[in-house]
Amino acid sequence: MAKIIVVTSGKGGVGKTTSAAAIATGLALRGNKTVVIDFDVGLRNLDLIMGCERRVVYDLVNVIQGEAGLSQALIRDKRVENLHILPASQTRDKEALTREGIEKVLETLSKDFDYILCDSPAGIEGGAQLAMYFADEAIVVTNPEISSVRDSDRILGLLASKTRRAERGEEAIKEHLLITRYNPLRVDTGDMLNLEDIREILAIDLIGLIPESEAVLRASNQGVPVTHDASSDAGQAYTDTVSRLIGEDVPLRFHEYQKKSLLSRMFGGGRR
Amino acid sequence: MSLKLDRESTAFTFKGGMLPMTVMELTSADPELIRDQLAGKLSQSPAFFQHTPVVLSVEKLDEPHLALERICAVCRAHKLLPVAVRGGADPIKQSAWALGLGWFPPQEAGRARPLESVAADEEAPAELAVPADSIGGGRIFRGTVRSGQQITSPSGDLVVIGAVNAGAEVLAAGSVHVYGALRGRALAGIHGDALACIFCRELHAELLSVAGNYKRLEDIDRRLLGTPVQVRLDGDQLGITSLT
Repeated sequence: MAKIIVVTSGKGGVGKTTSAAAIATGLALRGNKTVVIDFDVGLRNLDLIMGCERRVVYDLVNVIQGEAGLSQALIRDKRVENLHILPASQTRDKEALTREGIEKVLETLSKDFDYILCDSPAGIEGGAQLAMYFADEAIVVTNPEISSVRDSDRILGLLASKTRRAERGEEAIKEHLLITRYNPLRVDTGDMLNLEDIREILAIDLIGLIPESEAVLRASNQGVPVTHDASSDAGQAYTDTVSRLIGEDVPLRFHEYQKKSLLSRMFGGGRR
Repeated sequence: MSLKLDRESTAFTFKGGMLPMTVMELTSADPELIRDQLAGKLSQSPAFFQHTPVVLSVEKLDEPHLALERICAVCRAHKLLPVAVRGGADPIKQSAWALGLGWFPPQEAGRARPLESVAADEEAPAELAVPADSIGGGRIFRGTVRSGQQITSPSGDLVVIGAVNAGAEVLAAGSVHVYGALRGRALAGIHGDALACIFCRELHAELLSVAGNYKRLEDIDRRLLGTPVQVRLDGDQLGITSLT
């Protein structure tokens, strides 16, 4: 049985799709059979981030409406062997997804995969609720700013009530906090909320902290998940996140501002 | 300019609102019996009887006619203000209107619950996740009350073991106790109990209200922010004092 993980946030533009792509890639690189599903019908982006937009023929809506088989719609990632992508439709609207249809798709995928990542659309309406409904775990992506934290708080409320586990009274969804776009220098100057404040307000476990990084934008535009950029801080931070997700104990990095020493400036090494 | 003119010529606007309202469920139509029992209640909790608006529910009564005028007089004599009648046959509806009262259709079967067990509304998903225990007339909620959630204790105190986050709302007929940071809205004494208080470990509240008298975050002395406080009604002003 696969573990179903929803990547969600409430607020848009905080890095859900980037994180879903990077974490899915990381899980697959560690040998887990992984599929990442784009739930953002009408505004699909995951295929671009994963660099497979030219290979999309069928999508999630086609599968749910019986116009294509699941195996026809699944796209095999070119870089990592165990990774598949199920793209969203760009032309349909969100009403095209049904809970029964999603349940069937997830059930079928569960037989073949170890991890199913659901990349949620922004907002708290139908699409976002559908993406989280069947989840076992949730990664709540939050930026160090007050509006993002409040929206994440709202999403946590929904995770605790509008999901199958909640409705059936089963064990609650495991909630993980993923802080993205963290800039320790701007935290020190008071421009950004600091890590401890966010943790205190949201009161859930931290699974990872991704520093604000040029590597992320570069990766998005190239269609290569940032996890592949092992020399970048963001790439390493996502790799750490994946390790924690599969139960390893990894110390937190990138949360403090490191002044570059003269030596490291001269030799350009020791990037942390 | 035309915009300004429009505004000046508007005498009022209609707005939808949800107000906490006490329903007085009549199980007897005898005004004398009601009078006796009201007198008993009045001596028990005088704070409740402060011209409190009530809706008279006659759904449990199986009588086509009712001495509505006398019942209303009894209520008013005990500082309860009947504002509307709920349920009853056509003659009751007509006499309610004749007395200047509103009339509501009977509540759907199955939805009518006694006040003591009225839970927060459906938009309070925490109900499902972390059930709030009922104790006496009050409730205990364990966990974080998150943005968009509303936890109500309609007939007693509300105790929150955790934080109340921004955008969340906690309401109680009695006092509100928050053993954590209070960042959202806290309303105590929602039925008009002026003796109700709000207590919290860390004050950042968006809004504090006791018996309808409120203070916004902006009105709160900045030196008290982030500290443990109690909030009490002092005359018609909210007094916020440090607990340290």
